[in-house]
Amino acid sequence: MNLELIPMLLLSLLLLASDGADTAVARLVLSGHHRLDDTQEAVIVGDATVTIPTDTTVTAPIYVIGGTTRITGTVDARVTQIAGTLLIDGDAVIDGLRIIGGDRRVAPTADIRHRSSVDLATPTRNPVRSVVALAVATAALALVGARLVRTRRRNLDNVAGAIARHPLVTATVGLLLLLTALSLFVFMAFTLVLIPVSVLGLLAGLAVTALGIISWGHRLGQHLPVRQPHAATTAGVATVVVLLQLAGAVPVVGDLIVGFVLLSGLGAVTITYLGFTEFHPAPLPD
Amino acid sequence: MSPAPRRHPNRAAVRSAPTAVSTPDSTDPPAGSDQTRRRLQLLELIAHRQWVPLAGYGFYVALLTAGYYYNLTFVQLGLIDLGTTRLGMTGRSVSLVMAVLALVALAVSVATGVVMDRRGWSGDLRVKLRLLTVVTAVQLTLTVIAPLLATAVGLVGWVVVCAATIGVGMPVTFSFMADLIPVRDRGFAAAVPAGLAFFVAALYPQQWRVEEFSVVMAAAMTPAVVVLALLAFRPSRLVDRLATQQARFGPGRFTRPPAPTVSTPAFALIVAAMFAVFFIDSLGFLRIIDTPAYITTSWQSPEIGVRVFIAVAHIVGAAIAGVLYTTFDWRWLLVWVYGLFGFTHLLYTFHLRTAADAVPPLVLPGMYVLAVAFYTTLNFALWPDLSTRDTIGTRCAVGVGVAGWLASFSSTSLALYSDAAGVSLLTHLRYVDALALLLVAAVPLLLYAARVRTVARQEPT
Repeated sequence: MNLELIPMLLLSLLLLASDGADTAVARLVLSGHHRLDDTQEAVIVGDATVTIPTDTTVTAPIYVIGGTTRITGTVDARVTQIAGTLLIDGDAVIDGLRIIGGDRRVAPTADIRHRSSVDLATPTRNPVRSVVALAVATAALALVGARLVRTRRRNLDNVAGAIARHPLVTATVGLLLLLTALSLFVFMAFTLVLIPVSVLGLLAGLAVTALGIISWGHRLGQHLPVRQPHAATTAGVATVVVLLQLAGAVPVVGDLIVGFVLLSGLGAVTITYLGFTEFHPAPLPD
Repeated sequence: MSPAPRRHPNRAAVRSAPTAVSTPDSTDPPAGSDQTRRRLQLLELIAHRQWVPLAGYGFYVALLTAGYYYNLTFVQLGLIDLGTTRLGMTGRSVSLVMAVLALVALAVSVATGVVMDRRGWSGDLRVKLRLLTVVTAVQLTLTVIAPLLATAVGLVGWVVVCAATIGVGMPVTFSFMADLIPVRDRGFAAAVPAGLAFFVAALYPQQWRVEEFSVVMAAAMTPAVVVLALLAFRPSRLVDRLATQQARFGPGRFTRPPAPTVSTPAFALIVAAMFAVFFIDSLGFLRIIDTPAYITTSWQSPEIGVRVFIAVAHIVGAAIAGVLYTTFDWRWLLVWVYGLFGFTHLLYTFHLRTAADAVPPLVLPGMYVLAVAFYTTLNFALWPDLSTRDTIGTRCAVGVGVAGWLASFSSTSLALYSDAAGVSLLTHLRYVDALALLLVAAVPLLLYAARVRTVARQEPT
């Protein structure tokens, strides 16, 4: 599953619950091509291509969070588009259309009885804005890193030490955590009751990953020609973020490098208990 | 019996070998320090061009991979097809046959393990090779004749002989780790066959029918029998040299302080813990693969991409398990396994309840595969690591026999029985869920209780 779908999925589930739909029979379509001929359960369209053909009436709400949804028939319920692509042909009849985001093409002759929109349109890609956003994120990480060097240097040392001495172990633990935690949080979101826990979990995951990046920067900073420890960590964090951006531009190999850095940071923070203790692997006979 | 070597056959290797067995009073570097040597010894063997231990390494991996592939495809899945589809037996009858297979395999395995230890065969590589050759030859014959079976009585006879070969093969095969794999590498060496066997099984054959399994197995086993016979019955310097490795590789990771003996409650607890893992797996899996919506979108999907995903997930899962086994206490791996199984079955239950008509997402088999790779790796490495050369036969026999075979086949027969009794998949998985979640909660509690006991004993009176 595309990881970018997870926040969209959480939002769609919240909307679904607030719309009063029966969440116990909601249907999530994540891949492939599907025709909705006659469905009575709410449908969430992920990375899939969904078609509602002519002469077909769907009575359940549809939430588009990715992929492509084409409507040529009748939807006797509300269609909510959060992301993805929505194509509404001229013969389509839709009871309600709620637009939050994504791309769409609506034929002028389509019969849409109620229409509403929340202006969360994706801003046009602006290189300057991207650079500024990256700089702000880097500065925030660097500032937190500098602060941690002053107050919790031992924690950073422990995490950085685990990354340096046990890169395979930390990356492996990070990978396992990512696989299981993501599945768990998505699973929790489907219960609706646990959506707050799911959101908290995702935020905690982001915080731990950020601490991992700072620890990488702390380690790298020790090799930079900067004498002040906090300044070295600040410079190190900035360097790591820039290097990750550059690596991310390289297909495959770059993605692997970025993945390794992030996962090993995540794993190292975890196995050192947020850096409160050094990591000691189980002793092996020599 | 293997002839005694006239001179130390691997003197050069011993001289430069980086793995002298540490004595109890040796001053090991503190765990976790930079001095701690955690690098794979395989890499050092390659760097030092020590071809004899490397050949042993390769032999072990090939043997375990082939053996496990044979058992999880031909025996576990092929037998069900043979009984239900070809012979027209009821699910209940096949479940009884599977129970017979499990019990006979366990009995023969324990008897073989005890005999191996008492007669010193556990420490004799050549004897073990001879036993393995006979086992493989008989299994080859069984494999060829399996599709020709026409009656239920014939199947039962076939199963008894097959179970006997499995029973002999279990302690023999697993004990090769003590001869061929250095302790430091056992997590990785266990992960490779665990990943490879499932990788191949996920890709080929696509149809789980006994005819297809039979052809594939017979083609692979024929040359294997010839090679094994040459190694086992002809004088071979390679075998002589490999036989000397056990002095260095033999004592397992958990034998200092000495591991609990087979008759102690501590060993029984380990066996019970592993039994539960295998039991949960088979109990859930065999009902899942019986459900077309799940099996045709995963393990038997017509789309090669889906099967490749599952095959690669096995490799990734085994690699993760190999790293974790080497780095952490095995009990934590066990907690992970229970947690993964509990979570995976919850995912399946959730899908059944909320979106039974929708195409199941790949995360379902993906999580399943991860859990399976974990426990398979653990099972391969744990029993030899709890053993010395004098105890490896019995411990592997009891461990693998009870925790592996008895658990798998008793749960297989229970799953078939529940299917035949008309228990719905949702209800069945609910029981499996409950069991997995109970164990997720119980294992940390037991570990904590054990810690409390240790601390209480240390307190001065």
